[in-house]
Amino acid sequence: MTEAQGGLPGLENARVMVVDDNRVNRHLLLALLERGGVHHVAMAEDGIDALSRMNSFRPDLILLDLMMPNLDGFEMCKRLRADPVWKDLPVLVQSSLNRAEDRAKAFAAGATDYVTKPINAVELLARVRIHLQNRALVHDLRLFHERTESELALARKMQERLMPTPERLAEVEAALGLAIHAHFAPSSELGGDFWDLRRDGRGRLVVYLVDFSGHGVGAALNTFRLHAICQQMDFSDFDPATFLATVNKRLYALLPNGQFATMLAGVFDLETNRFVYASAGSTKPMVWAPGDAAPVLGESAGLPLGLLASADYEARELPLPPGGRLFFYSDAAIEIPVGDDVLDEGGLAELVTQRMAEPDAAVFLDGVLRALYATGPIDDDLTALVLTRKA
Amino acid sequence: MDYGIDIKEQEAVVRLRGRLTFNDHAKLRALIREMLQNKAKRQILDLSALEFVDSAGIGMLLIAREEMANADKLLVLRAATGQVKRVLTVAQLNKIVTIED
Repeated sequence: MTEAQGGLPGLENARVMVVDDNRVNRHLLLALLERGGVHHVAMAEDGIDALSRMNSFRPDLILLDLMMPNLDGFEMCKRLRADPVWKDLPVLVQSSLNRAEDRAKAFAAGATDYVTKPINAVELLARVRIHLQNRALVHDLRLFHERTESELALARKMQERLMPTPERLAEVEAALGLAIHAHFAPSSELGGDFWDLRRDGRGRLVVYLVDFSGHGVGAALNTFRLHAICQQMDFSDFDPATFLATVNKRLYALLPNGQFATMLAGVFDLETNRFVYASAGSTKPMVWAPGDAAPVLGESAGLPLGLLASADYEARELPLPPGGRLFFYSDAAIEIPVGDDVLDEGGLAELVTQRMAEPDAAVFLDGVLRALYATGPIDDDLTALVLTRKA
Repeated sequence: MDYGIDIKEQEAVVRLRGRLTFNDHAKLRALIREMLQNKAKRQILDLSALEFVDSAGIGMLLIAREEMANADKLLVLRAATGQVKRVLTVAQLNKIVTIED
């Protein structure tokens, strides 16, 4: 609704239905509304007449009398509220009933407001205007909310598409004997986590896992930036430390102060049974072979991406014999509160140890995730990856 | 997170307590303003009573470092323990911020 010239603001397009069995009252209210700048007015003689005209007239507000034949104002109001379409419609009762219990009964039936006859024109118009403005504001807010919701849902689908499809995972498994199971759960609609796979020029599998500082829309936009950077990288003969140093330089030029990302990037060298990786302050990767008693935690110290243009990174390696399994996770998994402390890598390693004999990787991952969610509230984006090398 | 400030001639010591997370953005902004207003060159963040910091919290400490540097002051992170110390260590933040035990 827009500001009306001269008249009351917001009334020129408003649609008001007057429900009153008394013809003189109806015309009095009509004249009063017209004088106040309301030009779309419908008149109904009783509750039944009013209800039958709701869908064709679609009022923005009802002025309702209580004492009417056939269907009175109390009952009409109740029936109106039973329809979800009209549950928020302002219903302004105007009645000569003036006892407290009449008012209480009207509000219980769903009235929004109550004025007593004889009508004071200024007061009635002021209330009509306030209720119409409230309705317009709520309507705007709802539209905004719906638009935001659908935009976030679309953005979330786009973000999910940054990550490998099940078909790509199946291809990798068929070609290299490396099975991948993943879990991706942003703490709100969008998240700052992201992971991806590549084959380098020598046919080896490259995997990287990223966690931007913060979460929500800002962090999610950064995942798109990083995805674009990774698409342009040279994957002919993958070297994790060089890769991180190059990505860091490019991100450093883009990220504002206070934003950064942790990242783990590595390559599976199946000929030498190794996983060779570098870390920019990521969590510690865990690895184990069949029969091991506990997972080995790989070192992961390194400056996060985007903080220092000249940062360099250290190449590290973990053994990955046939049948071996690697587990990656975002820091949400180790920051779950436990008493006064957090779960931390040690606590997570214990949860993994209890389940590492499980041959089915999907069952293993599901078990670890259930244990994590049972440990405490997780209020950050959680990503977890399990890579199993065929025996 | 909450904090207390003790300003001396040469240095201001800010004691952070509790958890420093995403939700403390406004508070840390206010703290940075206070640190810029006092005259001390060395601005010490005493982290001994800080129980937890998340990545957004680390980001805010880095913003504080830069704002201090722009005002010709030095930010020092002191006496981190537990999870906070582990996070500072794994992120090798000693390469860009002064960290003291």
